[in-house]
Amino acid sequence: MLTKKSSAATGSARRLRGSAARALGQTMDRRAFLKRSGLGVGAGAIATQLPYNLIGAAEAAAPGVSRGEGKADVRRTVCTHCSVGCATDAIVRNGVWVHQEPVFDSPINLGAHCAKGASLREHGHGEHRLKYPMKLVDGKYQKISWEQALNEVGDRLLKIREESGPDAVYWIGSSKHSNEQAYLLRKFVSFWGTNNCDHQARICHSTTVAGVANTWGYGAMTNSYNDMQFSKAALYIGSNAAEAHPVSMLHMLHAKENGCKMIVVDPRFTRTAAKADQYVRIRSGTDIPFIWGMLYHIFKNGWEDQKYIDDRVFGLEKVKEEIMTWTPERVQEVTGIPEEQVFKVAQTLAMNRPSTVVWCMGQTQHTVGNANVRAMCILQLVLGNVGVSGGGTNIFRGHDNVQGATDVGPNPDSLPGYYGLAAGSWKHWCRVWGVDYEWVKSRYASEALMTKSGITVSRWIDGVTENKELIDQPSNLRAVVYWGHAPNSQTRGAEMVEAMKQLDTLVVIDPYPSATASMAAMVRKDGVYLLPACTQFETTGSATASNRSIQWREKVIEPLFESKPDHTIMYAFAKKFGWGDELVKNIKLEKDAQGWDEPNIEDILREINRGTWTIGYSGQSPERLKLHMQNMHTFDVKTLKAAGGPCDGEYFGLPWPCYGNPEMKHPGTPNLYDTSKHVMDGGGNFRANFGVEKDGVSLLAAEGSASKGADLQMGYPEFDHTLLKKLGWWDELTDAEKAEAEGKNWKTDLSGGIIRVAMKNHGCHPFGNARARALVWNFPDPVPLHREPIYSPRPDLVAKYPTHDDKAKFWRLPTLYKSLQEKVKDISRDYPLIMTSGRLVEYEGGGEETRSNPWLAELQQEMFAEVNPKDANDAGFRNGDYIWVESPTKAKLKVRAQVTQRVAPGTVFLPFHFSGWWQGQDMLKYYPEGAAPIVRGEAVNTATTYGYDPVTMMQETKTTLCRVSKA
Amino acid sequence: MSMPTMKLLRTAALGGVLALGLSACGETSQVPVYKDGKYSGKADTRPWESAEFKGDKAAWEAALKNRARGQNEYNRGD
Amino acid sequence: MGRMKFLCDAERCIECNGCVTACKNEHEVPWGVNRRRVVTMNDGVPGERSISVACMHCSDAPCMAVCPTNCFYKTEEGVVLHDKDQCIGCGYCFYACPFGAPQFPNGPAAFGARGKMDKCTFCAGGPEETGSQAEYEKYGSNRLAQGKLPLCAEMCSTKALLAGDANVVADIFRERVLRRGGGTDAWGWQTAYGGGEQKREQKREREGQK
Repeated sequence: MLTKKSSAATGSARRLRGSAARALGQTMDRRAFLKRSGLGVGAGAIATQLPYNLIGAAEAAAPGVSRGEGKADVRRTVCTHCSVGCATDAIVRNGVWVHQEPVFDSPINLGAHCAKGASLREHGHGEHRLKYPMKLVDGKYQKISWEQALNEVGDRLLKIREESGPDAVYWIGSSKHSNEQAYLLRKFVSFWGTNNCDHQARICHSTTVAGVANTWGYGAMTNSYNDMQFSKAALYIGSNAAEAHPVSMLHMLHAKENGCKMIVVDPRFTRTAAKADQYVRIRSGTDIPFIWGMLYHIFKNGWEDQKYIDDRVFGLEKVKEEIMTWTPERVQEVTGIPEEQVFKVAQTLAMNRPSTVVWCMGQTQHTVGNANVRAMCILQLVLGNVGVSGGGTNIFRGHDNVQGATDVGPNPDSLPGYYGLAAGSWKHWCRVWGVDYEWVKSRYASEALMTKSGITVSRWIDGVTENKELIDQPSNLRAVVYWGHAPNSQTRGAEMVEAMKQLDTLVVIDPYPSATASMAAMVRKDGVYLLPACTQFETTGSATASNRSIQWREKVIEPLFESKPDHTIMYAFAKKFGWGDELVKNIKLEKDAQGWDEPNIEDILREINRGTWTIGYSGQSPERLKLHMQNMHTFDVKTLKAAGGPCDGEYFGLPWPCYGNPEMKHPGTPNLYDTSKHVMDGGGNFRANFGVEKDGVSLLAAEGSASKGADLQMGYPEFDHTLLKKLGWWDELTDAEKAEAEGKNWKTDLSGGIIRVAMKNHGCHPFGNARARALVWNFPDPVPLHREPIYSPRPDLVAKYPTHDDKAKFWRLPTLYKSLQEKVKDISRDYPLIMTSGRLVEYEGGGEETRSNPWLAELQQEMFAEVNPKDANDAGFRNGDYIWVESPTKAKLKVRAQVTQRVAPGTVFLPFHFSGWWQGQDMLKYYPEGAAPIVRGEAVNTATTYGYDPVTMMQETKTTLCRVSKA
Repeated sequence: MSMPTMKLLRTAALGGVLALGLSACGETSQVPVYKDGKYSGKADTRPWESAEFKGDKAAWEAALKNRARGQNEYNRGD
Repeated sequence: MGRMKFLCDAERCIECNGCVTACKNEHEVPWGVNRRRVVTMNDGVPGERSISVACMHCSDAPCMAVCPTNCFYKTEEGVVLHDKDQCIGCGYCFYACPFGAPQFPNGPAAFGARGKMDKCTFCAGGPEETGSQAEYEKYGSNRLAQGKLPLCAEMCSTKALLAGDANVVADIFRERVLRRGGGTDAWGWQTAYGGGEQKREQKREREGQK
């Protein structure tokens, strides 16, 4: 063949490089090593036995992928980057993930992926991962063995427990854990003896969960991404789905093609707005006035669904009084939106029913978050859009399993399944766990602390630094374990490093060292441990998508390097702490390749099934979930219902609630509260969870408004043994069920008999049939009220719409509202611009994982701030200049200016996924060698300010203040 | 064909093309002609001649058609 | 089977870059080489539209017409490929291409050789043994030979980017356009036929998308 000089040179250069590399022992690629050693076992197992320098830098650059050799296995998994739940097929050869194929059969994503989903295979390279346990020694991270790590960390934590009690350790769990891992961690933390645990949901949708659950029963997305194909109009407010949930847009754009009107309300002209029929620019933090403004027009024009309100809603009159005070002039004064735009949106939603609403962090992450989301619920109730296909509140969750981790994971105020922390809840779970209630109680410092909600992840730093006398627990926090959670997603970063400095021990358990490692090394010399966990592609388990569908992930590859699955690490620590046996009483242990004990994931799911009756996590056995994953093509894309095949009549992923035990064959619930369907076909109604009457008014639904085919066609309370007896249905239980159900209610009857009789025999909903509450009397603002953010750009409005009073003990901490707002009332003179933040499509969450992926990192190489041309000109900088963004905390961020009309004059937008720079300095030297993310930049939360929701302690990230100047 | 002959032929072909290019400003025919396992002198196999399809063009076309269906969600209902 | 074509539906493209990373993933395209990229017009203002661009596999390919070494060839499926052993990396095709498709990798490991032109192959490999390591290292994976379409299109988040037989792609697109009602919103339509897009733009303005 004709060879030219150049190609010959290339060839020899490559050979030369290869031999040089071998001589240096630096760039042995794992695949080559495997091939040479002739071992057919999993690559990860071998890799862990290699010294690090042999599996180093060149790994990702290994030329090509051996395609032709060895048998190719197809493993079906689900993207870990957001809550849409996109399935993907991983092709694995010789233990190496060589290829990624779309799963066209998936009814959720139909093969589609965004940038993150299309780059999942990079996880099989993992060059920037945390590769082995490390310890901070004299300001530098050093490699240690797992044995040493488990012993040293274990001993330090036990010592703290001994000296200061179990509540002195704070456990930050993860929405990226599988359901089984998240659940096991809540159990783990309980056996440690504290409720001081939390995860991303706190700072993501905690206000939604609390606000929505208190309105009508369950705190979750009511419908599904797919169901939006039935919508005739859709209002996105505080959601940039095109970047945060890109594949959801497949369904929306499909709907739009078929006539759905799409509306986006946002301070920023987002990529989602670019696809909308109507875009409305709103002042950040003024959602309630806008929503009331719409409802004003709806009521004025008689567009409300009066029958629906009469039958199924409680307390709307009080809310209406407040609504009707929001005249168009007043709305415009506060939100900046002219009347005709507000009217147009209201009209579009009213005239194009069923209409749906979508919200995300733009509504939740505010000091009025819980009120924002309730106002949205009220809007949908007034329009009669809830419990209706094409309607509902489509609340897009964030992480891939944030819904699942919220449902069954490490929450400071609840045991799995929203059972709460009362003694009865503990006794229920102790029965499921097979442990003695008294023993668990003895693990806690006191019964009072056992039933008291813990500190939230948004405030752990105050748990460390707050005056001990003012904390509502015996000791300050002395140790923090970051178990799959970024630090740069929490606000007040500048204060966070101070808290990190004061800690006795800081532990990171994560596939990546995360920004925690670098922030800690910046301010500490020792007492920091990094333990490598593997990703969800290196283990198996289930994850709950935003629409409540649960999908099963197969293990794609063996854990890379020395990493271990989170549940294996949990068991290792439990053993060290002396209650390994209790943790896995009902769970088989299996030896992994290195001889570690791994708790069986399917057994953990079965335990979840046995205990989680409240929200119907009881019917989704591993067998049923796997069957769905194998028969995706049989499910309808719009309804998610299988027609024929082995899953006939079931909804994809058995979206919770999937009531009763697996044998009852509940099909899952595609749309919550839908009375047009029988309860055994996924129908339902609003939940009776707040008593049967309030101030003499019935809370139960009106006559004739029960779910289809129910024997009780009126409102009714939740089922328990006495109701069953009163109705004369008790004898429909078997003798065994009777023995178990005696004295129990549907939530605590482990036989599932009460649920079976109510649902299967009588078509009734076990949680009763009540009205949705427009008036949530147990919240600080029973009627959602507009309150200016603490750092408001409008001092004139602060006086009119002040925030709440300070709270002395709130989630164990003193919390400031009015005193701080008063203090900073005029601070907008010095910090005149609204500082807000949001997501980019290429990155996820704190971003260390995705910024370590070269395919993604190349697309967003620098942290930036979007500034309107007017503000840029006033401050004297141009597009592309480095600028300082300074907040009232005095923290300064050095970022590139992106001068654009995406933001209005007066608003500065910063993406939140960056970390690795600290106020102008690159933190590269503080990362473990070779494990820093490729792209580093200022974390917006280094500069964010104080402010929390008065129900859930959600942090305010969306409205604070800043000033900008040329750097 | 022996290696030296092949090389010679290729060199000749390339020379010819170059000469043509100079004379006609590169306006070579863009109609693909597949002859003797080559396109315009570049050795390449046709996609259905792969290990997967072993020359079965109809099977390959069916596979591609099936794959194209995946790009149209209207196939999964309105 | 007719000609292979890409079509990007600007009404659907949300600039998510899924196509870009799918391409990186499928071919292990090195940093700095972009066989595909997403271009956005009117960024940040009403009228913002994006399309994903790669080699368009032109019927009358300018790159092919100008190449001094005649390294290009076209397959019966209409895919424009090139022989890197003949490429001299002169960049003349880069001048000629209206889409900026040709890339010139700088790194020694980038697709075979320093300076050689690299571009989208429609996932059809190149002039090396089909499915071989050599083909993969020089040109990337050969999905077409596996009976699959380019991964960028197959994975597109909103099915905006379509690939395959031009007739099939046209059918898919036509159905959408009909449902949207009136005219096509394909980017470039107004350049070719004028009118429609501008009218819709004004309509949008009237509807308050300011």
